[in-house]
Amino acid sequence: MTPMLALLQQAVTDTTGAYGHFPGVGGRGAVWVAAEVHLMFAAFVLGVPMFAVITELIGIVSKDEKYDKLSHEFTRLLVFAYSATALWGAMLLFALTTLYPKFWAHMTKIFSVSMWIYVSLFFVESFTLYLYYYGWERWQFGRGKWFHWGLGVLLNVWGTTVMLIANGWLTYMMSPPTGATAEGLPKGVTMWNAIANATWIPINIHRLIANAVFGGAIVAAYAAYRFLAAKTPEERAHYDWMGYVGNFIAISTFIVLPFAGYWLGREIYQYNQQMGITMMGGFMSWLWIVQAVLIGVLFLCANYYLWLGMARIPGAERFVPYTKWMLLLLIVCWIAWSTPHTMIATRDELVSMGGAHHPFLNVLGVMSAKNTAVNLMILTTFLSFLIYRRANKESVVPWARTGTLIQGAMFVIAAAVVLFYGVYGYFVEAIVRIGFSVYQVGAVLMCILGVSIIDAFIGRGARSRGEIRWGQMPERSQYALFVLAVTFTWLMGLMGFARSGIRQHWHVWEVMRDTSPDAFTPALGYAANMISLCVLIFLSLVAFIFWLGGLAERASHAVAPEPHGVAIPPGIAVARPGAAPVTGD
Amino acid sequence: MWKTNLKVLAIALLVVGFYTTVAHIIPQLQSEVPEALALGSGVTPEALVAAGEKIYNGAGGCTACHGLGTRAPNLITDYKGQGAVGARCGTRKPGMACKAYLYESLTQPQAYIVQGFDPIMPDMRKQLSDDQIWAAVAFLESQGGEVDVTGEDIAKSAPAKGAAPAPTGPAMTATLDPVALYSEKGCIGCHQMDGKGGAVGPSWDHIGSRRSAASIRRKIIDPKSDTTKGFEKFAGMMPATFGQMLTAAQLEALVTFLANKK
Amino acid sequence: MTRLRLFLRHPFWQAVLLLVVSYLAFTVGVRYVPPLFRVASAPVPGSVVLQYMFIAIVGILIFVSSDELRWRTFKQPLHATLVDQDKRWLRGGLLVAVPVLLGFATYQQARPKVEAPIQLRSIHPAPPGQITFRGKAMQLSGLENPLRKSGSMADHLREGKRVYYQNCIACHGDRLDGAGHYAHGFSPAPANFSDNGTIAQLTESYVFWRVAKGGPGLPREGTPWNSAMPVWENYLTEDEIWSVVMFLYDQAGWQPRRWEASPEERKNPTGAKQPAAPNAPKAGGAK
Repeated sequence: MTPMLALLQQAVTDTTGAYGHFPGVGGRGAVWVAAEVHLMFAAFVLGVPMFAVITELIGIVSKDEKYDKLSHEFTRLLVFAYSATALWGAMLLFALTTLYPKFWAHMTKIFSVSMWIYVSLFFVESFTLYLYYYGWERWQFGRGKWFHWGLGVLLNVWGTTVMLIANGWLTYMMSPPTGATAEGLPKGVTMWNAIANATWIPINIHRLIANAVFGGAIVAAYAAYRFLAAKTPEERAHYDWMGYVGNFIAISTFIVLPFAGYWLGREIYQYNQQMGITMMGGFMSWLWIVQAVLIGVLFLCANYYLWLGMARIPGAERFVPYTKWMLLLLIVCWIAWSTPHTMIATRDELVSMGGAHHPFLNVLGVMSAKNTAVNLMILTTFLSFLIYRRANKESVVPWARTGTLIQGAMFVIAAAVVLFYGVYGYFVEAIVRIGFSVYQVGAVLMCILGVSIIDAFIGRGARSRGEIRWGQMPERSQYALFVLAVTFTWLMGLMGFARSGIRQHWHVWEVMRDTSPDAFTPALGYAANMISLCVLIFLSLVAFIFWLGGLAERASHAVAPEPHGVAIPPGIAVARPGAAPVTGD
Repeated sequence: MWKTNLKVLAIALLVVGFYTTVAHIIPQLQSEVPEALALGSGVTPEALVAAGEKIYNGAGGCTACHGLGTRAPNLITDYKGQGAVGARCGTRKPGMACKAYLYESLTQPQAYIVQGFDPIMPDMRKQLSDDQIWAAVAFLESQGGEVDVTGEDIAKSAPAKGAAPAPTGPAMTATLDPVALYSEKGCIGCHQMDGKGGAVGPSWDHIGSRRSAASIRRKIIDPKSDTTKGFEKFAGMMPATFGQMLTAAQLEALVTFLANKK
Repeated sequence: MTRLRLFLRHPFWQAVLLLVVSYLAFTVGVRYVPPLFRVASAPVPGSVVLQYMFIAIVGILIFVSSDELRWRTFKQPLHATLVDQDKRWLRGGLLVAVPVLLGFATYQQARPKVEAPIQLRSIHPAPPGQITFRGKAMQLSGLENPLRKSGSMADHLREGKRVYYQNCIACHGDRLDGAGHYAHGFSPAPANFSDNGTIAQLTESYVFWRVAKGGPGLPREGTPWNSAMPVWENYLTEDEIWSVVMFLYDQAGWQPRRWEASPEERKNPTGAKQPAAPNAPKAGGAK
């Protein structure tokens, strides 16, 4: 009782002077926009270096210059994006100190030392980035190139560490260590305990993967834009290829993201059941239907892009008839996934259904059906990738047929496991059913892994059925890439709202109460408006940065027209794009 | 070039707009800060009225009948020229002040029925806590009258629960043993059985030969229905609340037991 | 016959056909096909049909545009309608019909209705961390049914049965299926305990909370004024509620949802606690 009483007293006495006022959107709105746009840029400057370092490595290993050029092109964008990140970070900091002084005082009291480390790391990171970018020509050959690549790795290390520290602050707000009060941490609980709290590691993993996804999606959107604006066939070919690589990275990392999210949700549940129920079953439950719509769009766009891309691959014709059945499966799964359990219905409809649950579609509303649908969608998308990779190859290994049969069997087994546990889940108690999702996920991951390994061997020394006609892409495929990027950005905003919103009226969960007039958690509509605002601000700034990048490029071309990179060197590396970024062959 | 730019812009706006629309189609739900409804002894009338208004329009479900149609008197608007409920409550029942009358109509709604209406109002204690009932009383008083509900009323009504007609709290046990019920429910105060108990009412010995089971049941539930010969001067003494104090099973156990005492 | 085949091969008419078929499947199909196999069904709410149709349209558009040739053939009739000389009557007709249809749809949306606004009700809202049961503070999270650790289970169940048949049966029904005598009078309908979406998903402490505090004790998203569930703490003792909760699980054949072991317990499990069970983030209403 005593802590509750103390909290109540705090609520009464502390309201005055604890909150600042911001015109228009209000204090919370201002912090919301500053934090979200800062976070989007931060994801950009963390995701794109990952991308740059990987492509640079591929360039070094394969001695293919176009990878190096790609990497360089993105580092140039990074320099601009980096200052935008810092700018929005400063805005967020000032917004917090002026609008939430009391809360911010609490945070600085606990995290002061980590804040100093954070700033110094930021400093070091900037210098590494400048060295990395401006030293590109200086260290282009031999051992120097490896040194340069090391700089890129270092850049990622600094960036990730900075993110880990900031994650410590925000996860502290969700899951503070036991004993923390509004006055600070109790004796024996150190700052490290506050940083390494219950949800810290899951958030770190989740964000790291999501950053890679985001980096890939933004790269793809950039390539799409340059593709549409391209004037020569060579340019088109280059950006077509870049869009493909970006999309590949985005989707292949995206496939593991739901599992990371699942783990995070699990930890939240374990930390506090009430927070978990608010998230999944209570106030926030409708958010997941919106999320299902967004992710459905993501899966369909990614597949659509691949199917359209098959038109430029000689030999892909033999797979085209199957795409419509894959589409059908994706659509059916999407329908199952987005079916709400509790339906929006008028009174008459409620009466005829005998409640808010539909007697028949009810079956699709529960978690068993949704897990099954998502896993099948992941499998289908993976299959799309596989046939895309196979399209222009003719295997020369004698066991190719057997290998393909084994791969097919793997798909069938994985799908059967997913379906079996999906159906069996209806007949067991909740706690057992939850365990089933692990088997489903395990089957899908095993299938992806096994099939990829076999495929790598089947593809060894394969004959080409003809060169990929890079650049021969219908324009609508590029718009699909835009939709992908916008959707990823919006999804990030939505999930940010979910993560932050489940704290409800607490600044720091059950430690520091929000006593401002904005303490309520807004409805989805208001949240969607804020998310859209943030997304549009971010996208327009990114468009500006892209434009600046184009200017800088033109300037450098004017000084010294570079011959490299425009033409796609024909050869096996181009003909085997699917293998490129991950396996490195 | 500009055509491409505009197309890209249109796509981005379209996608963002679509997601925003989807989020708006879903009925909007806002999660409010839970109110700490701790109406202790130091509560202010304003706080009570504010809490009461929410109950009146929300959890109490009062507006379902009051204020719509003819099922119940209008409370917060004028009723037959007598003003809103706060103005007329003090004069409704002779000798009963506004506060007591309102509390009674919420907790024992059948005690006084305004002419022209059916006795359909439920006992609000089934739905509301004591704090909430007092808050509702305060809100109703504020409609044209003076709020005189204080923290003490709330504190007082808590122990008074036991005496209230609706059996609440630990007074209600689940025993089906008629002998236990005999002493527990207080029958022993007036009725003799096997040489025990007071002599205000008829003895329970051999009662089964004098009354049928149906008659015993009716007498327990509605004591005014008849009076045993020789006990006329005690008529009306028997409390009318046993029907609420016993569960159906307990009542039946007691009735069967008594009817068999031949 | 050949004309029909040509007709069916044309992507545009395929798309139209698919659209009609999917609409019929979502409305008529879901409504009438499951009953043929003795599975209960009901009309699909308009909002869900709209959602399904949106997905279907996206799918159809992807289908017609994922192949260059198909996409061009698909656009042909559209293009012809817009420019061909001999189709000017059709064009004129569309020019009238489309605005009229849109106008009608707008009118349908905007006209005053007597219907109550749609309310979104969360069936299993998040429980509070702590409740006050008759003046006694109770910590809900981690709370187990105390009766399971003491006394004879048969007695508790008998007691629970008695409490159920005295208090709950009128609404929740003899078969615990939420179809008691009074059930038809309520919207929302009383909870159906035999459905795997209700108590089977919840811990016993959650069910205790719902019984003790009833409809008025629901948080806002549970739209408290909708629920007719009484506040049973005013009528039943703590043990009676626990016993009736136990009875519900026993009779409906579900196992109560178990609590997850906290991270500390997982690291050093004590003998008294049950072993850490795998669990994950979706109790409440799995939606």
